[in-house]
Amino acid sequence: MQYQQVAVIGGKGPGPGQFRDSLRGIALDPAGNIYAANDSQITVFDAAGRLRRRWSTSQPAHSVAVAPDGAVYTGQIRQIEIFDSAGKLVYTWRDDALLGRVTAIGFVDADVLAGDATSRAIRRFDAAGKFRNNIGRDNPLNGLLIPNGVVDFGVDAHGIVHAANPGKHRVERYTPAGELLGHIGHFHGTDPAGFGGCCNPTNVAVRDRIYVTEKAGPRAKVYSFSGELEAVIASDVFDANCKNMSVAVDRRGRVHVADTVKLAIFVFEPVAL
Amino acid sequence: MSEHFTRRDLLHHAVRGTVLATLGGGAGFLVRKAHGQVVWQVDAARCLNSRLGEVGVAACNLCTTECVVSLSAVRAVNEHSRCGRCNICPAYFNITSAVDERGLPSEKLCPRDAITRRPIGKADPEDPANNFYEYLIDEEKCDGCGKCVMQCKEPLGLGSIVLRIRYNKCVDCNRCAISKACPKDALIRVPVEQAVT
Repeated sequence: MQYQQVAVIGGKGPGPGQFRDSLRGIALDPAGNIYAANDSQITVFDAAGRLRRRWSTSQPAHSVAVAPDGAVYTGQIRQIEIFDSAGKLVYTWRDDALLGRVTAIGFVDADVLAGDATSRAIRRFDAAGKFRNNIGRDNPLNGLLIPNGVVDFGVDAHGIVHAANPGKHRVERYTPAGELLGHIGHFHGTDPAGFGGCCNPTNVAVRDRIYVTEKAGPRAKVYSFSGELEAVIASDVFDANCKNMSVAVDRRGRVHVADTVKLAIFVFEPVAL
Repeated sequence: MSEHFTRRDLLHHAVRGTVLATLGGGAGFLVRKAHGQVVWQVDAARCLNSRLGEVGVAACNLCTTECVVSLSAVRAVNEHSRCGRCNICPAYFNITSAVDERGLPSEKLCPRDAITRRPIGKADPEDPANNFYEYLIDEEKCDGCGKCVMQCKEPLGLGSIVLRIRYNKCVDCNRCAISKACPKDALIRVPVEQAVT
């Protein structure tokens, strides 16, 4: 399996389709529109990379996700702001106790999952915002080891949560109730099938496979659900100093990776061999 | 005595170690200096080994080779409050060495074996990846070569290990040989009151 780069979206700069200082999270909706959590705003591009709209958030945006009903959730510090698809603020969900720095958001059935990097846990809430349980907090010892400051996860079609556990060099599988089911991945400093450095992978997305990004050196890779490396999607295109690169995959298998230094979204697609 | 200890132990240890190191190796010496006197200091933001953006380059060891003091007056110091306490610490392990049967790199990075570690809190003997570790640098062994500093910095690590001049070892020559050799002018003079120990 091989990938080729097909687009670069955004870039560092003051322009309307650019990112000024930060690009911390990306998400896709079913139509392939791209949502970027950059600076203190959400920027929306269509699948071809054309700027569609943007709106401000009340705090710097650390993550973004699109709910099944089209609402746009933005993770911030101690709160999640929820917008409609046009960018109108619908609700500010503030929780000083259970929401720290929210670096990932996902959905399981009617529940909302929030990756809280401050407490190194994934918080599960029901649709009304009532806390249900933690995922990956102390399972089995010390839970998610997150030296890199970001909790990230993806949810597969069966509702299984795949969470990056960079300190353990794994992607762990959890039920929504928090039961650890298993993991893929292991440390290796030179074999691309392993995860290198102190703490990788940093970010994960799930669709037909498990997609991850790593830091130092930065790269994007794809694994089967059983843990076999299927491809190194890209490495050299990313700035060597970037880390915590958000990754998202559309239904055509196109992989979007947010370079946190170049402040650009790189798009790759599988090459038919 | 068990090699494992609690987070409270860690805190006590860190505080006590900091106080002792400060009194013995740094500030204790500095307080005997006259107010307004200047001393040499490594500027971490300039030092090739610790400054951000320097990736894919070899560690600079001029602090080791150029210092007029045998076993340089410069030491690597781990700022524990910034340390990620990683299982696979790139400053502790040679992370590109072969992986052993436990899934860990088989070689250490420090050529003088100056860095040791021990698990923090409840340890999982079955799975070393489940544990946090405290990393300690033996300053009597460290010669300030900077290899661990280079590996610890962002984005690979968190930049908790930096090079510091130990003022009880520095002879305070006004023509610091390291400063002459340093390619980044990272050896600076600061008033003794501002010196970081």
